[in-house]
Amino acid sequence: MGTRNLVSIADLSNDDIEEIFEYADSCDKLRSDKVGSCKIMATLFYEPSTRTRLSFESAMQRLGGTVISCSDMQSSSAAKGESVADTAKVVSSYADVLVVRHYWDGAVQAMAEHADVQVINAGDGGHEHPTQTLCDLYTLRKEKGALKGLNVVICGDLKNGRTIHSLVYALARFGANVVTLAANGMELPQYVLERLEREYQYTLAPVAGDDLSAVVTESDALYLTPKQPHQLALFTQVDSTIQTRLTSMVSGLRYDAFYMTRKQKERIKNGAAGGSYPSIGSKFLTEQRFKDTVVMHPLPRIDELSSEVDKDRRGVYFKQAAYGVPIRMALLHFLFEKQRQHQFIKSGKGAAIFESPHKTGPHCPNSKCIAVNEPGSTRLRYEILAGGPAAALVLRCLYCDHRFKAHLVGQTTSKKYCAYDIALAETVKQWLKKSELAIFDSIKQAEELGYEPYKSGPQRAIMDDREIQSAVRQMSEQILKDCEDPDRLLVLGIRTNGSLIGQRITAQMEQLQKRKFEVGEVEIYGTGDDLRRIFPDEPELGPVSLRDRSIILVDDVIHTGRTVRTALNIIFRSGRPRSVRLAVLIDRGHREIPIKPNYVGKHIPSAEHERVRVHLGEVEPDEKDKVVIYSITSPSES
Amino acid sequence: MTTEKQLLLGKDDLAKAMTRMAHELIEKAGKVDDLALIGIRSRGVHIARRLARKIEELTKQTPPVGIIDVTLFRDDRPRDQTSAPAVAGEISVTVENKIAVLVDDVIFRGRTIRAAMEAVERLGHSNRILLVVLIDRGSRELPIRADIIGRNVEASDTQRVNVLLEESDGIDQVVVTPWDSRNVN
Repeated sequence: MGTRNLVSIADLSNDDIEEIFEYADSCDKLRSDKVGSCKIMATLFYEPSTRTRLSFESAMQRLGGTVISCSDMQSSSAAKGESVADTAKVVSSYADVLVVRHYWDGAVQAMAEHADVQVINAGDGGHEHPTQTLCDLYTLRKEKGALKGLNVVICGDLKNGRTIHSLVYALARFGANVVTLAANGMELPQYVLERLEREYQYTLAPVAGDDLSAVVTESDALYLTPKQPHQLALFTQVDSTIQTRLTSMVSGLRYDAFYMTRKQKERIKNGAAGGSYPSIGSKFLTEQRFKDTVVMHPLPRIDELSSEVDKDRRGVYFKQAAYGVPIRMALLHFLFEKQRQHQFIKSGKGAAIFESPHKTGPHCPNSKCIAVNEPGSTRLRYEILAGGPAAALVLRCLYCDHRFKAHLVGQTTSKKYCAYDIALAETVKQWLKKSELAIFDSIKQAEELGYEPYKSGPQRAIMDDREIQSAVRQMSEQILKDCEDPDRLLVLGIRTNGSLIGQRITAQMEQLQKRKFEVGEVEIYGTGDDLRRIFPDEPELGPVSLRDRSIILVDDVIHTGRTVRTALNIIFRSGRPRSVRLAVLIDRGHREIPIKPNYVGKHIPSAEHERVRVHLGEVEPDEKDKVVIYSITSPSES
Repeated sequence: MTTEKQLLLGKDDLAKAMTRMAHELIEKAGKVDDLALIGIRSRGVHIARRLARKIEELTKQTPPVGIIDVTLFRDDRPRDQTSAPAVAGEISVTVENKIAVLVDDVIFRGRTIRAAMEAVERLGHSNRILLVVLIDRGSRELPIRADIIGRNVEASDTQRVNVLLEESDGIDQVVVTPWDSRNVN
């Protein structure tokens, strides 16, 4: 599949980028030809921006087109809760191209999927900012001639800067060397390094100090280079300011450019993250070795660059900002041309794309991903990256690029699930090919969907219907005994089994107290409607009110505690209860989260590879209630 | 109700408790390599740093210490639904595939810890979260339990348990004072 959009810098080939640069070189001609006349560009900015937005608007007007925009998306229909999908659809009929900035990672991809016109990413969360990258590359090319073989030092906040990640990939594609010099705790994320290694065959050589332990507590420098590793010697002295650190680097290496970044204050709350932030000052300017090193910065700056650099010919950041307009004119023209010729700008690389057959998962673990925050606007689509570290099954979210390991796989036809193992690689490939692959976040999720373990040991009953009933009764009595104000009581069960047990507990309490209690349920894999009232079943009552309630949260089995934690997150997102107490039929141990139930029907010691399952008559009408324990194995072990 | 200030732990008691907690943490974690300490602002941070130093003394390995500020995640703070929640606090540790050790001075209702767990979840997928507190004063409102506790204290709702640390207060001690009289010294 190709795209007519610019969501990621990866949507453009090197040739495409060269073509855009050529257009930018002759932007006066684009202006006089009015190549954008009769076109309308809509700017949708969910986050504040000055230069990106103004340079886009200026670029469009210089091309002879017109611009419509919404001064503040926060006060528009988005604030009324309109999804990005709907906004994209609606605005598509008003404009020929949409320029979007959004605070969630991957939001622009989601909008591109729903828009009928071309979409340009003007920054999506901490994910990408491809037009800034184009502008950076163009500046480098203008100042240095060619990109191949350049030595570029990037320094500062390399963790939160979306521009930095796009820039590093792009530099890698054009064969430049990159030295990273991160502020303390703001190193380039591991997934960026892995992608550089995997896709661009970069070798990553850490630059160590004389005193290694001191370097570890300070920031690490990394030298990223295509194919041939470089010998790069070491800092003799550890200091967080750029000058001292770089003057102590071995000489002989020529630096073409310094790319400073701003500390992303809006993405990290509360100022300084321990240690000082690198800056460039007058000492840098007097260094002979840096006499041809240009200094770049995406702006706005805070205090990373002293004003002396402004006056120096090497400080090119205002030029860099000025190139924003021609490069965006060139990009718009490029996209219009592709549209006119009905050309896609990228042909697919034959990636293995997995789309989940189930709506409940797997979920992208990035809490800032659009797919997590607006499941209605997205699909559960992932690229399957084979041969990751430790031969794991790695999924890449198609929206935010976040990578994560899949632990549980299943086959839709046989309705069996098992833990992923390297021996299953070929099987999984076959399942994917035949669209029979399912992937789950947890065993609970698989079982909710009716999947059974691939192969399980003999089942051993550990509770029968009478024991379950007596456990429910005991818990109910205890809950009532502890309860100071029955009017505040609210029973919330975790769907499905926890909800059923919650209803049984409520029925028991009602019998004992001769009164009614409010009951609801929490769905932890839900897509929005996470909390529902079960009784009283009167829609006019509106959503369940949690304020000042004494909540009894109910589940069937507690294991790691992660399910309960998710349920607590949902509860506290929805209101502020007076207290939450936890009742579980079975506590099987192996906690990974510091959660402790207040009421336990039965403690059952279990091994990690064992499963405890509760069968309830409400779900399986022909069966008696029972709790069983058995061990599970995967197909590779059989 | 007494208006007297009651000393719970003096400097030596506190140091002893800290040493024991560090030992317990090493034992529970198995590998110091896997630990990522996260102090909850502000006294939790001092305690986390002391634990890290203690662990270094004992094992010659220094676990990283991050800082978390949970005020954004507290449930008693109104949420702005339309804006993206910011990354919590200042953190310089990665929790991916590690044991995240949340450290605070006092656990009481459990609300701070719940908020901190939500914040840690946003940092990435940790293998496990361990909760370490210097003082557990009971009266939990949420089903949360600390894994490692310096000292259990029975305190009524009309009392405050104050942890004073050299780093912030110039003295190492834990005292119980009446809730409403901060001026009693």
